[in-house]
Amino acid sequence: MNISTDPWVWISALCTIAIFSFLWRDNPFYKIAEHVFVGVANGWAVTFYWHNVLMPTLFDPLFRQGQLLFIIPFIIGMLYLTRFIPRVSWLVRIPIGISMGYYVGASIPAVSQALIIKQIQGTFLTPQNFQAWHAGNLGVVWSIILFIGVICTLSYFYFSREHKGILGTTSRIGIVFVMIGFGAAFGYTVMARISLLIGRIQYLLGPWLGIVD
Amino acid sequence: MKIIDILTKIDRRVIYLILFAVVTLPIIFPSAKSIRVMPPVEKLYDAIDNIPEDKALIIDFDYDPQTLPEIEPMAFAILRHAFRKRIKILALSLYVQPLGLAQNALISVSEEFNSVAVTSEDSIIYGRDYVFLGWQPPPLIPILGMGESIVNVYKTDYYGNQTDTLPLMKEVKNYADVGLLVSLSSGDPPKWWIEYAQNRFGLKVGAGITAVSASEFYPYLQTGQFSGLMVGMKGAAEYEEQVENKLNIKVRRKASESMSSLTYAHLVIIIFILIGNTGYFISRRKTKSSPTTPTGRPR
Repeated sequence: MNISTDPWVWISALCTIAIFSFLWRDNPFYKIAEHVFVGVANGWAVTFYWHNVLMPTLFDPLFRQGQLLFIIPFIIGMLYLTRFIPRVSWLVRIPIGISMGYYVGASIPAVSQALIIKQIQGTFLTPQNFQAWHAGNLGVVWSIILFIGVICTLSYFYFSREHKGILGTTSRIGIVFVMIGFGAAFGYTVMARISLLIGRIQYLLGPWLGIVD
Repeated sequence: MKIIDILTKIDRRVIYLILFAVVTLPIIFPSAKSIRVMPPVEKLYDAIDNIPEDKALIIDFDYDPQTLPEIEPMAFAILRHAFRKRIKILALSLYVQPLGLAQNALISVSEEFNSVAVTSEDSIIYGRDYVFLGWQPPPLIPILGMGESIVNVYKTDYYGNQTDTLPLMKEVKNYADVGLLVSLSSGDPPKWWIEYAQNRFGLKVGAGITAVSASEFYPYLQTGQFSGLMVGMKGAAEYEEQVENKLNIKVRRKASESMSSLTYAHLVIIIFILIGNTGYFISRRKTKSSPTTPTGRPR
């Protein structure tokens, strides 16, 4: 055992224990650690954005180097602050409109191509998709299961007709696929949370207490 | 009190205590666990391994302290792989928070190699072998802009050097000079790289992600949009296994060391789920068989 003498390691370890103490019940140590985290994170973010975004990309070029074209983004950005003045608060729509227009224009073709068309292509029963499973002859079986799963799950979310007859059968199969999906997601979530716990315990046992390397 | 009542009313703090014990003990008393490498990680390893000599690897560091235990071992393993194979690396981040973590990973792994290097050729030299481009907001700008010119988007690197003066940046001008991009992320960035960089410029993309987002990202592997995929601590351990076996790099394997804790914790959770469900069904059967009042409640 080789306990750390670094005060920062101690602060970090004690904050970790304070946060974990919430598992017992809510208490002042947890609240202190929570507030310190929120305060530090926000303070760090504000100073970082000021020094790394606003100063080098806007204020320095505009006010120190005299590049007057930067007055346009400066004014558009300042319009966000009109939200706090009720008489002219409608002006905030201008920067919001510009941002939305840019992002929607950029994302619609990209999203529809990469996330919709490509994903639909992935469900087709083609030799290329069979091979994508890296499962030899079983690739055909997996592709058929995927195909059935997609059709049945989509039919479960079709609400314009009562779920009876063929639609009733496919939607009941669909809900099985949905539940398997939820189960897999839950399993992965457990794995993720346990991994984070392992990380903190490794820190407490290693750099802090020196029990392990 | 019957045993089934005791089992279904276990205090949550007892469960936490048991979990703490099964996670802690294997860390203090480690045991060797064999790690089976799965095809998604194998594909990612091969994709990096097969990057042509004249092309670079971009590593997008997009994890933060919250997801460090899952993603950081992936970053270390990939860096060791790339440095050993002398693959040129451009590192960047789409968020602010990961910058320090990315710098730490780059410096730590390059020092590992430099500590045993004999000549300049063996060494990992900043500007020649790798460049840390830093952060350029908002994410869409670098993703799209680097397809035209990387030095136009990142005029200076993380350390304030003019990028056009760095030797590596004279060889890597845009995505045409990039063999693969690996996004190590705890969020959406791997999807952005597919949507914008792959869709428009044909960039090959691989990913290392947290386990919690695995079910969201697996479909992109099946469609071939991802060249490979690492999921959570297990994925990192698989990559570490490959780096050790195929490249003979014997260093501390943080993710692999955690596999025993992860396995035992999963077993404990499975047992508690079984106990909870068994108790629930038994008590439900009892409630159904017992006579009820007109309000539907048991007498």
